[in-house]
Amino acid sequence: MPDNSIDPVSLEIIWSRLTSAVDEAAATFARTSFSSLVRDANDYAVVLTDRQGRSLAQSSMSIPSFISTLPRSVRHFLDVFPMDDLKPGDVLITNDPWHGTGHIHDVTTARPLFRNGKLVAFSAVTSHVPDIGGPVRNSDLGTIFEEGLQIPRLKLVRAGEVDHSIVAMIGKNVRVPAQTMGDIWGQVSAHNMLQDRLDVLLDETAFGIDLIGGEIFSRSERALRRRISDLPDGEYNYVLKNDGFGDPIVIDCTVKIEGDRLSVDYAGSSEQIRDKSINVAETYTFAYTVFGLKSILAPDIENNEGFFAPFKVTAPKGSIVNAQFPVATGARGQIGHLLPVAVLGALRPIFADRKMAEGSGNSVCTMVGQKDGVPFAVSNFLNAGQGATMDRPGYDCVAFPSNLGNLPIETFETDAPVLVRWKRIRQGSGGAGHRRGGNGQSFCFEYVGDAPANCSFLIPRRKVPPKGAEGGENGAPARLIVNGTETAPYLIKSLAKGDVVHVQTAGGGGFGARGK
Amino acid sequence: MSKVGFRLAVDIGGTFTDGVAEIVASGELVVAKRLTTHADPGIAVLQVTEDLLRDMRELERARGVEFECGEVVHGTTLVTNAIIERDGAKVALFATAGTRDVLKMGRETRYTLYDLNIEFPKPLIPTEMIFEVEARMDATGRVLTPLDHAAVREQVHEMKEAGVEAIAVSLLHGYLNAEHEREIGQIIAELHPDAKVSLSSRVASEIGEFERTSTCVANAYVQPLAADYLRRLKKRLAESGIRAPLRIMTSNGGFTSSDAAAEAPIELLESGPAGGVRSAINTANAIGIDDVLTFDMGGTTAKACVCQNGLPELTYRFEAARVARFRKGSGLPILVASTDLIEIGAGGGSIAHRNNMGLLNVGPQSASSEPGPACYGLGGEQPTVTDADLMLGFLDPDWFLGGEMTLDKGAAERAIAALAGHLGIEPLETAWGIHSVVSENMASAARVHAAEKGLDPRKLTLVATGGAGPVHAVEVAAKLGMKRIIFTIAAGVGSCLGFLAAPARIDRAWSYIARVDKIDVEKVGRALAALKEDIREDMARSRADADSTVWSLGVEMRYAGQGHAIMIALPDTGFARAGIPDLVQAFERSYEETYGARIPDGVPQVVTWRLSAQSEAKSRAFKLADLEREKRRVDQPDRQRRVFLPLENELGDVPVHQRYQIRPGAKLRGPLIMTEAESTIVVARPADVEVLDDGTVSVALD
Repeated sequence: MPDNSIDPVSLEIIWSRLTSAVDEAAATFARTSFSSLVRDANDYAVVLTDRQGRSLAQSSMSIPSFISTLPRSVRHFLDVFPMDDLKPGDVLITNDPWHGTGHIHDVTTARPLFRNGKLVAFSAVTSHVPDIGGPVRNSDLGTIFEEGLQIPRLKLVRAGEVDHSIVAMIGKNVRVPAQTMGDIWGQVSAHNMLQDRLDVLLDETAFGIDLIGGEIFSRSERALRRRISDLPDGEYNYVLKNDGFGDPIVIDCTVKIEGDRLSVDYAGSSEQIRDKSINVAETYTFAYTVFGLKSILAPDIENNEGFFAPFKVTAPKGSIVNAQFPVATGARGQIGHLLPVAVLGALRPIFADRKMAEGSGNSVCTMVGQKDGVPFAVSNFLNAGQGATMDRPGYDCVAFPSNLGNLPIETFETDAPVLVRWKRIRQGSGGAGHRRGGNGQSFCFEYVGDAPANCSFLIPRRKVPPKGAEGGENGAPARLIVNGTETAPYLIKSLAKGDVVHVQTAGGGGFGARGK
Repeated sequence: MSKVGFRLAVDIGGTFTDGVAEIVASGELVVAKRLTTHADPGIAVLQVTEDLLRDMRELERARGVEFECGEVVHGTTLVTNAIIERDGAKVALFATAGTRDVLKMGRETRYTLYDLNIEFPKPLIPTEMIFEVEARMDATGRVLTPLDHAAVREQVHEMKEAGVEAIAVSLLHGYLNAEHEREIGQIIAELHPDAKVSLSSRVASEIGEFERTSTCVANAYVQPLAADYLRRLKKRLAESGIRAPLRIMTSNGGFTSSDAAAEAPIELLESGPAGGVRSAINTANAIGIDDVLTFDMGGTTAKACVCQNGLPELTYRFEAARVARFRKGSGLPILVASTDLIEIGAGGGSIAHRNNMGLLNVGPQSASSEPGPACYGLGGEQPTVTDADLMLGFLDPDWFLGGEMTLDKGAAERAIAALAGHLGIEPLETAWGIHSVVSENMASAARVHAAEKGLDPRKLTLVATGGAGPVHAVEVAAKLGMKRIIFTIAAGVGSCLGFLAAPARIDRAWSYIARVDKIDVEKVGRALAALKEDIREDMARSRADADSTVWSLGVEMRYAGQGHAIMIALPDTGFARAGIPDLVQAFERSYEETYGARIPDGVPQVVTWRLSAQSEAKSRAFKLADLEREKRRVDQPDRQRRVFLPLENELGDVPVHQRYQIRPGAKLRGPLIMTEAESTIVVARPADVEVLDDGTVSVALD
């Protein structure tokens, strides 16, 4: 064994402790968070990076997108605040879509971690905050300026001293300042815990962070490159079409495998859209592309900078998957959630045993109004059918690739003046085939409030249903029916007493011709 | 001749059925162990009982007294196994019109992110056995559509025709108004009296139709089986001459009457582990320690539980029959009060291997008992934790399981040498690596578990139980920065000791969501009175002493609009309008403590009320009875053994003691080894080691 390496026992133990330290910080953050998206849907992440912003470990249960955006955020911070400018006790902040997670609703903070006066690492946290100003969540927005507050890369805390002007500025621009700032301070607690745990860990080991990081990166990268080398070289293309506003939106995905390298290019994809908020910043494109690759290629290999190294993701500037300032990006998930589907589609020819037909992302129904004279706001996630594979039918009503659960009927009726008529599996909506696609759901409620409420919908796959594979049929498209009339979901609707809303989410594609 | 009272505890585990008899006045114990008889678990219970009764007769003769059994406390994995193995009853479900897919849809989430072929837990009943009824309440419990009795009668006939043995009834908002559920229950009692009935409003009266229905159906699924088992057990005990009441351990760490257990058997799910935690707390309490981390490690898994102020942490959201064993969210949700344990795949049988990163990993795959670790000589070739412990000198090849089994050290060394070759390191380094990595896995899980509760593990005392727990406890504690470790006596029958230390306890819940300024106080009063009456009946059936019963009422509260609620304890079990300001204050104080700040304009809301009654929990001072057989067992000379010393990073000679041969009060210095029949205490670091009066071993690391 060369002198500059760590033995396979010590490294395993250090690695395991790094992960548990990050998980401890994550648990601390989650229990103090005001955002139900954080607590119920894990819409947050904690990452530990080295001093160059290279990811060492991330919280285990976090949603996939942040795992690769967070280390990039640290590097974006370093562009503005070089290492020499950073002091112990500093905390950096941003929600810029291009430097953060792709939309302004996630606030990202990072703290440089020091040891014996030297910068050794960063703790970075991002989470969906309870409010960031702007209108009710919907996709019908022109530019980022209409979406809410933008926070550029700033120093929120300078060597332990809070910059109160930033706090005041954020507080003035959001509806629930105590809760939004509460979550940001929760992130800071997580940073502090990580600094403490890292101190203890480094006290007990003879190895420094750079050596540990080098081992983690090189071992992960080697394992992944071996996996890629086993795949046949070649170019694999998949074109996925999705509902547009006029023409369908196209995701044109080409995966190229050369030896131990894998690149994904989105040339040929639709252009960014100027008056809808479904545009995706490159950082989010990278995140969901890598999520798809990891799912099929290496679910067992740890996420860290070494894991990202063999992948290259490119998309034409100004395309919907590399959208440029100042387009709106709030509903980026509508497009971003299609990327793993496209990646899996492209790789079908080389994963005979893991081929999967298309499925659909979730719909969401958001409602705000008054109930018994008191304001209410509810978000109800309605999941759809997933694609079938050669070996099994598609899953009925399951979240993918995001992981947002539904609101129980009893909670929905308690929080909002509604009466649910039914919530059922939409039988027959999965595409037919040798294996049928997963069914979507049929969800119908009546508005029973005296005062009208505003209701907005994000419903994917209404026009272009999930495609079947290898002769399997397409899933049924999603539908929105208000008072018996087929309706487009984009505009905010006012619901009055007696209005009946019926959402049918899409079915997944079937696999293989029927009877075969 | 005067009669001396004793109590029996019997626990059916996966491998062994354990039993303990306790002489009440002195706390003296007699223990017994038999292999579990899976086909008819009652047989092993009877064998263990007979063994214990035989020992008690021996003691009677020796001491010239007459013993009399005062109670039997029983715990069993019957319910858990029936759900895992899917051999429960044929069940039908009544659900509200429009919700028949509630069990299949669940919460629509995935419990693991990167598995494209994730396996979801299957509902316990097929969709064709779910019947929708036209009856509807709104979210205040007001009836919108009355129950269609004629339709229900027809459906019950249909169920009877189909051979249904148990019927679950779970209607929307049934937690607020149980009227329709009860009416259906009456119709079933009239038309299909042989069927067992589970009402969601009785089993789990909480908001959330999926979780409540899942709990109600799971209860119905095991009701016929549990009722039949308990009836036969009572008969068998009577045939052995035991007339004492049969009490059943439940997941909440208390016991209940066998009648109540037959009605709500779902509460038995985690009785064994709950007993183990209760035993650990009892041992700690007896020496004045209240805040502990219990650590139980067996052949395939390790479990840990954080306990504060002498109480186990409870969770009200439990999962049964996880399809991915150690994954949260992969099981059927069960809304019963359960001891909040974490479980990981780390046990004596866990297999060590080189992972795809070239690093040493341990578990979660286990060699189990067949073929078992390489050193068992039963055909196992892969190195396990037990093999490493043997090679490190922590275990004695000639004295495993109290000498019932000899271990093949050569086989262990060969298995480890092969792995060492793959890793490119020395065999001894590999063996210590296995011990260290498996201990780190447990420590990591415990750290995160403690952080979820807002606790620092460094302030807790570790209490070790289970066959492999005492072998690894010191290393786990060292990794967690904990200084003190205690080892209970008779760790191999720990759950039984917990049963004997457990109070009678009944928990009931009721969801009623309201802003604090809009609470219908009379409604709450009526509901709490009904819960109290219900609990009182069950407490009476478990023959708990009503005078010493401690009641507690808590309510889960949150700011309106938040997802998670925090539990606020109320000063007494009544609730009046005058108490609301105090409640709000208590909530805000607790919120501030937990989350750092209040929400200035937040409106507090009540969600779920939780009422419990518990008989006084007495700290029991147990010690092993002085049987002749015990004396022979401990008649071993002290000697030295070569064991691995982590601080020196080499093998060294350390003293080996027979644990039960050491004089109580003795003060020793680690490193040392203490052996006992069920396990081995390994202290491979410098430490003060003390044997307390009751036989408990206390270790303080330097």
